[in-house]
Formats: sequence, structure tokens, C-alpha cells
Amino acid sequence: MKTLLYKQFRLLCHPMTLIFCLFGAMVLIPNYPYSVTFFYVTLGLFFTFLNMREQKDIYYSALLPIRKRDAVKAAMVFTVFIELLSVVITALFCLLSARIQPGKDNAVGMDGNFMLLGVGFLLYAVFNLVFFTSLYRSGYKVGAAYVKANVALWPLMAVAEAVVHFPGLEWLNRVDLQANLRQIPILVVGALSFAGLSIAAYERAAALYEKVDL
Amino acid sequence: MNAMEIRGLCKRYPAFELKNVTFSVPQGAVMGFIGRNGAGKSTTIKSILGLVHLDAGHVEIMGKDFAGNERFIKENIGVVLGGIDFYPKKKIRILTDVTRRFYENWDEDKYRHYLRLFAIDEEKRVDQLSSGMQVKYMVALALSHNAKLLILDEPTSGLDPVSRDELTELLRKIAADGQRSVLFSTHITSDLEKCASHIALIKDGELQYTGTLDEFRQHYAYLRQGEEKLTLEDIIVAVERRPLDENAVI
Repeated sequence: MKTLLYKQFRLLCHPMTLIFCLFGAMVLIPNYPYSVTFFYVTLGLFFTFLNMREQKDIYYSALLPIRKRDAVKAAMVFTVFIELLSVVITALFCLLSARIQPGKDNAVGMDGNFMLLGVGFLLYAVFNLVFFTSLYRSGYKVGAAYVKANVALWPLMAVAEAVVHFPGLEWLNRVDLQANLRQIPILVVGALSFAGLSIAAYERAAALYEKVDL
Repeated sequence: MNAMEIRGLCKRYPAFELKNVTFSVPQGAVMGFIGRNGAGKSTTIKSILGLVHLDAGHVEIMGKDFAGNERFIKENIGVVLGGIDFYPKKKIRILTDVTRRFYENWDEDKYRHYLRLFAIDEEKRVDQLSSGMQVKYMVALALSHNAKLLILDEPTSGLDPVSRDELTELLRKIAADGQRSVLFSTHITSDLEKCASHIALIKDGELQYTGTLDEFRQHYAYLRQGEEKLTLEDIIVAVERRPLDENAVI
């Protein structure tokens, strides 16, 4: 696992993948649909996957002393690592925002709270499921897989940004301690979905990839 | 003992079929795997390596079934796929640093020895190496993790005559200790005259003949015209060439 992750970072990681992780800082923008920060991270991942294809990583990985499905595992472990990193960075900037921007109320969508982080996990869960199971049907159609993942991602983002403005759901948009405590189940469901769907996506993608002729 | 045995490999594509390919590479042999472009050499090699999904067949390397021992087998073979250059913009030093971590048997001293022997500059990017040097680098990687079987798919295509000559000499020396074996696919048959001990000929996805170089020549001795020695090129041309349709519009 460590060696696979090392390979991904040393040979494949596109610089923009790491830079987009820092876009969690966008929660400092006074009014903005903050869930878009997670989209940027998927865009960074897309660049790395394009890089994998153009560098012929499929063939390199196929010749290493690993199973064919371990190539999928390497990609998934890297993706999950980047997504977790971005959630942590976003959480840190949410804390910073609460400290330096007291009383801020995002008029566009969600505020920087546990609801936002839970939605982030959920978006990544859906992204991983759609992107991996589409990509590893062929092993090389990165663009098509990314478009499909975005077709699933954007309606979810729109719903998440809108739902906090519904009457009676204002607590989803607050950043005070009491509201955050109420939002913990959303964070937990998001995190569990992320873990469960990422594992399911890996298993399915690996099974599909075993049948692909390189 | 055979370094590799393949039995009954079958793979059907819409426009091509690999039909029941069976042959073995004895330990210490340099097996030349020949056939014209599109005959099925690369498909056979990809099938051996598990890169394509077989419809039927069995691959055994160093006495172990590939299906259940993929990691072990890949640890003990070295592969050079011609025409595929990985990570062209990465430095050799970085590519090696990643690759060596995957091999339990990696021998850094051997690697340094082969770098010096092949005059490979680690600070160069992959795309700064000539085609011949890229092949040598891949061979250096294979030898540095003590691969017992080298599988090379068209490694000499695109190389100049001097580089081809160097490579064939290198392959002969690798197998000379009787411990290591080589499977070497090519359509440049003159390269094999210098280094191969065994030959397998494939045509339209079907294996035509396999045996030692002498047996192979003997088998096709009926093609000889006059007293001149029959070359592998003479054989492959005679076996593969289709007459041009006299009525074809050119």
C-alpha cells in the first residue's frame, strides 16, 4: 500500500491536484457556494488521471510485481488520500472563518460547518463510485468517466446548497456550536458513505478492470 | 526444466484469433518468437503476462501457474515491451527509485554495475535516451531484480544495426549461464541468427513450428533452393508471403 501510494505521488500526481486541495480556503469568501471547493478537488484528480493515461502508467503498473487489481487500488488509495486531505484543509479554514469572520452569513448556500463537511464526504463518495466504475471499464476513457461523475455531482451540489434555505432547516446553515452538534449525524453519514462507497467502487472497478484487454 | 510453458492459448477478437498456441521456453534458452506483423506475437506475449483476458489456455512460469501466482511470477520475470516508453518526462533516477521499491530481490550493486556497463546517465529523462538505450535500461531493471526469465516484445524494432547487434549479444550472454532464459519476439529475423537457441514461428494466430534453431532449419529444409544455407528470413518469407493478385489494380 505504501509503495503504491509512493508511486502515485512520485510519478503521477499533477501539481494542480495538490493546489486544488488548498481551495478549501474559499470558505473565507463572504458569499459563495462552498461545495464548489470539492468540485475543484475532483478537477485536480482528473488532471492526475489524465497524466496516468498519457504517461502510460497502465503498462508500467501491469509489469510490476503486483496484481492487475492493485493498479486500481493504487489509484483509489491516492484519490481517497487527496479527498481526505481536502476535507481536513476545508475544516481548518472553516475554523479560521469562524474565528476571523464572526457573524458571517453566506447568502449563496451552505456556511462553513459540519453540514458542509458531511456534504463534501457525500460528494466524494458519489464521485468515486461513478468515476472509478466508469473509468475501469476501459482503463483509458478518463474524460467520459469524469463527465459522468459530474452529471451525478452537480445536481447533488445544487440540492445541498439550496436545502439550507428551506424553512425549518435554517439550523443547517448556522455555524454556532449548538447547530454544529445537531449537524454531526450528517457528517457521520457523509463519512460512512464515503468509506462504504469508495470500497464498493474499488471492488467493482477492480473486477471490471480484470476483464479489460490492455 | 522449462522456464515457461504455455498450453492452448486462445483469444478471439472481432478481426483476429489466437488459436490454441502451445510452446515452451527451456531453461537457459534464448527463444526467438517470430512471425510477420499482425501474426499474433504481441497478443501471445500479452496473454502470457495477463494483460489480455484469455478465452482459454494455461500459462506456467518457473513451474507455477500464472493465475494464482501473479505477484511471484512478476517478481521473477523482466519484461520489455517495444514501442512503449513509460513516463517519458521523468528522470531515470526517479523511475528507478520507484521501481526498485516493488522488488524484494532488488540488488542495488547490480543495478549500478549495469548502469556503468550500458553507459546510462541516471540524470537523463526517459525521452532523452535513444530507443536502444531505453531497451538497455529496461534490461538493466530486469537484471537488477534477478529476473530468471526475460520477455521482450519487439525490442529491436526501430533500433540501428549497431544497437541491435549489441542487444542480441547481451541476450546471448544473459542466457549463457544456463540459469536465465529469454523469450524474444521479433520480425527482424537476422537478429535471431546471432543469439537464438530455439525458435517458435506463428502465423495468423496459429503456431507453425517450435524447436531448436537446427531443428527448425531442418523442418523447413525443403524450402532450400540450391546449396545456399537457409536463413530464418528465407523461411519466414516462404511461409508467410502471399502472391500478389495479378489482376489487382495497383
